[in-house]
Amino acid sequence: MLEFDGLYKAYGSNQVLQGVGFTVAPGQMFGFCGSNGAGKTTTMRIAMGLARSDAGEVRWNGARVDEEARRRIGYMPEERGLYPKMKVGEQLAYFARLHGMAAGPATSAAAEWADRLGLAERRNDRVEKLSLGNQQRVQLAAALVSEPDVLILDEPFSGLDPVGVDSLAEALLDQCRRGVPVVFSSHQLDLVERLCDAVGILARGTIVASGTVAELKAAGSGRQLRVVAPQARPGWAAGLPGVRVVSEQRGDTVLEVAQGYDDQQVLAAALTTGPVTHFAWREPTLVELFRGAVTAAPAEVAA
Amino acid sequence: MTASTQAPTQASARTPPPATRPNSAAAQVRLVAGREISTRIRDKGFLIGSAVLILLILGMLVFQVVLSSGSDDTRIGVVDGNAAVDQALQAQGEAFGTDVEVVALDDEAAARTAVEAEDVDAALLAPSGAQPELLVMSGDAQLEALVQSTVQGLSIDDQLTAAGVQLTPPPQVDVVALEEDAEENTEATVVAVVGVLVLYSLLILFGQFVAQGVVEEKSSRVVELLLATMRPWQLLAGKIIGLGLLGFLQMLVIAVVGVVGALAFDVVSVPGRLIGTVVTVIAWFVVGYAFYASVFAAAASLVSRQEDLGSVITPASILLVLGFVISFQAAQDPNSTLATVTSFVPGMSPMVMPVRQAAGAAAWWEVAVAVVLMVLAIAAIVRIGGRVYAGALLRTGGKVKFREALKAERV
Repeated sequence: MLEFDGLYKAYGSNQVLQGVGFTVAPGQMFGFCGSNGAGKTTTMRIAMGLARSDAGEVRWNGARVDEEARRRIGYMPEERGLYPKMKVGEQLAYFARLHGMAAGPATSAAAEWADRLGLAERRNDRVEKLSLGNQQRVQLAAALVSEPDVLILDEPFSGLDPVGVDSLAEALLDQCRRGVPVVFSSHQLDLVERLCDAVGILARGTIVASGTVAELKAAGSGRQLRVVAPQARPGWAAGLPGVRVVSEQRGDTVLEVAQGYDDQQVLAAALTTGPVTHFAWREPTLVELFRGAVTAAPAEVAA
Repeated sequence: MTASTQAPTQASARTPPPATRPNSAAAQVRLVAGREISTRIRDKGFLIGSAVLILLILGMLVFQVVLSSGSDDTRIGVVDGNAAVDQALQAQGEAFGTDVEVVALDDEAAARTAVEAEDVDAALLAPSGAQPELLVMSGDAQLEALVQSTVQGLSIDDQLTAAGVQLTPPPQVDVVALEEDAEENTEATVVAVVGVLVLYSLLILFGQFVAQGVVEEKSSRVVELLLATMRPWQLLAGKIIGLGLLGFLQMLVIAVVGVVGALAFDVVSVPGRLIGTVVTVIAWFVVGYAFYASVFAAAASLVSRQEDLGSVITPASILLVLGFVISFQAAQDPNSTLATVTSFVPGMSPMVMPVRQAAGAAAWWEVAVAVVLMVLAIAAIVRIGGRVYAGALLRTGGKVKFREALKAERV
């Protein structure tokens, strides 16, 4: 179990983290969301020992993550970083060795990962000669080459084309199947929704919502009804008591209803306009959940 | 995979045990050092630069050989000579500062041939006769004077003997040298100055390598990935030790080439002093490198771009340049106040002290004091520089102020 427990961090008077905590189970893919400047990168850097928390700690299997444990973590920093003049293969082998692999296994692991991420032919090229997309793959290979127990990736998908996104996603799912907990931050919420078992939304220095995607949706659902009644005239639902019209477009209406309101009354009203082709509680998308969570209180200062 | 997929429960198929073992701090330092060496040693610029430096040393040696040849010894052919003539010529040669080698020749014809073939520098005909003759290719004032005074001396001896004058052997002059090995000291000083020139070049070169390496890691942001696996001091130590070993190796190669060359070309008269001086310079290189590598690394960690490197390296290398300039002054006057004082100043001592040592102007305790001061300075710089380095390393973007870096949190 990877646990982030009550992390506090201030830069001067700027309280960035105010008790950030969440857990990631082995084999779980955790999507870490939040607006710009919310503190996602700071949280990850604390886990990697690149920043020191004012309070709280990060634990892996119950023990505080120390230098030794960190060598078992694959890390991809937000600011990509590789030696520009070093060859791809040598670079990967070097990082594998820094993580504690012996020379022989490091070389073969470097070759294997270059191969798996489609870089086999570029192994003897200097990193600076590669396209940005390929450099990104090398960066990911550098995080994976030491067969880490944990993966912490800061914005791994940014700057990738759809094909690149798919191959990276596949590589991460492979790691999950291997039992590795994967934490990654991303702004691409559709991607998070598609890939992640669990999601945490960071806003105002704390995790304002977390859980599996299903849980989050369940918590957020039960409030909105979608009714499709093609022959209904505009404003048909406006008069219904306890109901607020969220959107209405050519017979496709989204209604927000008060807690405990009987949805069958709405159905009855809809049927009076003619046939009803769709009537269901609507699951909010992650984007809507995110928006709701992030804007629930004073707006975040965008970085 | 869909959004509703639950996390697999604990310990799904965890394949083989991890192929890694935690590295010790020393292992991380070794890895970093190894990378520095293997990267540099394959760098064409570095290889070419090293070759040029060695060629330069060889060139200087050849230059020395050419300069000093010719004045070494003089071959004089003699026709109708005898042992007395040979001895007199050699004695005069000593007075003129040249080794005279006397070659006996059969007759005038043989003498002409030998002079024309430049087998001898000159040929003396009938030295004891009434009309001695000197054959030369062209006039050589020193050679003429040498032969002239020899013949005169022989003639006076003969006449005095003929007149029945008994000569008491002239008294031998006892020479008391106030400066005992002045000549040896001068030679050693020249060697030291050449050595300091090499030392200075290598300090600049490898100091630059350290600085560029630090900035490269900062500007490419790879430092964040590195610091996730090791502490800043391990990265710094690996870098300094790796490049230092390479610099030391280069210094050794140059020293061996220089010493072997000097001995082979017979440029020096006292091989023992030569080797002693070279070893001294190498030892000073080691402490000098430790000092400047730490200074340059800390200075370089304050900036994030290669373009800004000059603005922090220049102030750091003022001491180095000053010490180098003063070392020449010290070669001329090793006992001057300037040379004496600066030979104790950490940062300058690696360049000034070896010259004073070679000139025989520094007592052993002076050297010891200079070394102790230097080691203390290195300890302080490694401490402060290490803090600056650790504090500034993760602050990319602009230029970090020295004080900020000192105060910054270290992770």
